[in-house]
Amino acid sequence: MKCAQVRELFGAYWDDEITQAERESLESHFSTCAACREEYEQYSRTLELLGSLPREEASPDLLERVLARTRRATPATDRLPVRGIVWKPLTAAAAVVVLAMATLSPWLRPVALRTEQPGAPIAKREPVRIEPRTVTGAPHVATRPARAGADAGTAVAVADSLFDHNEDIDFILDPGTVRRGHVRPGPPRTTNVQGEHAVITF
Amino acid sequence: MAPERDPATPILSLSDEDLMARVAEEDERAFPELVRRYQGRVTNLVSRVLNDRECADDLAQEVFVRVFVHRRNYRRGSKFSTWLFTIAANLAKNEIRRRVRRRNWFSLDALQEMLQDSAPQLADPTEGRESRMEREQLRDAVGRAITAVPEKYRLSLVLRDIEGLSYEEIAQALGIPGGTVRSRINRARSMLKRKLQPLLRQEGSP
Repeated sequence: MKCAQVRELFGAYWDDEITQAERESLESHFSTCAACREEYEQYSRTLELLGSLPREEASPDLLERVLARTRRATPATDRLPVRGIVWKPLTAAAAVVVLAMATLSPWLRPVALRTEQPGAPIAKREPVRIEPRTVTGAPHVATRPARAGADAGTAVAVADSLFDHNEDIDFILDPGTVRRGHVRPGPPRTTNVQGEHAVITF
Repeated sequence: MAPERDPATPILSLSDEDLMARVAEEDERAFPELVRRYQGRVTNLVSRVLNDRECADDLAQEVFVRVFVHRRNYRRGSKFSTWLFTIAANLAKNEIRRRVRRRNWFSLDALQEMLQDSAPQLADPTEGRESRMEREQLRDAVGRAITAVPEKYRLSLVLRDIEGLSYEEIAQALGIPGGTVRSRINRARSMLKRKLQPLLRQEGSP
């Protein structure tokens, strides 16, 4: 084995990761080559020095400092249960309010209408048919009042209606009935029909 | 019930990996135990890589804070110490690079000066080689010589020859192939030997 080959094996020899055959030829070389032997002595002495360095101990307050940092670093973890307590009821309350408003919304519109017609009956308990506008000669457009001219009270009363009819809806629905009812499209009209058609049944 | 799941299992008897799993599950007792187990090794590693005891304290602290912050990123089944040393090595690497940028690190001239100062005393038979001062100077010289090895070789060297990690563990911790680890360690050892040669010659002389 040549000197260069021997020196290539210093690391494996030190780490004891060398084959038996390599070990024998390396040690045989050392017995005859003083330069390689000395070179390996310096190599092994270097690693001994490295390994003999005293171990640095951790600072006595390291754990405390780490824990203090982690408490600051992840406040969300500590606050998580509190957040749950606060937000869950709030979300539930908000859901209840939305549901209540959705349920009560039919009551709100008749109230607005009642203020305009104090003597009018509150409801008619019968199917309501929204009649189509029949064209009888004069153009329909001429008979339909402009929305811009509608007064504020009327606008409030019909603003969220499914239908856009300022004049052609003049019934008052019983809120309880409306709540249980549903709207379905009316039968198709083939002639002289203009505008939307729907039947509200209960 | 598996030990890592059973809350009645004493913390001290859990493996590192089971402890880390508990840290991820917000078991408050687990993390301090992991810090206790590894604070010495982490401090020693970064201290040797940087040759700076004060900075090692801060860096070790940062290592454990990162372990905690990234606790949910720990992959179950992987060796905890390897993951920990990956974090430590990365932080040490960043610190070395920061120092290089600031040009505030050890120079070769300072090493030569240090070795010249140490060698005569080490060779002086009247003082004895193992006196406390000599030993401290020798260690100081070796510590400085380590920092004179380029960073990419130095980390492998310290992990192998000071921390005693296997080549495979180093490869995982540094994210490089095993063959690269071997060649880096061989080069690092040769560099260190060259840097310490004046000291070794003096030491070996009669």
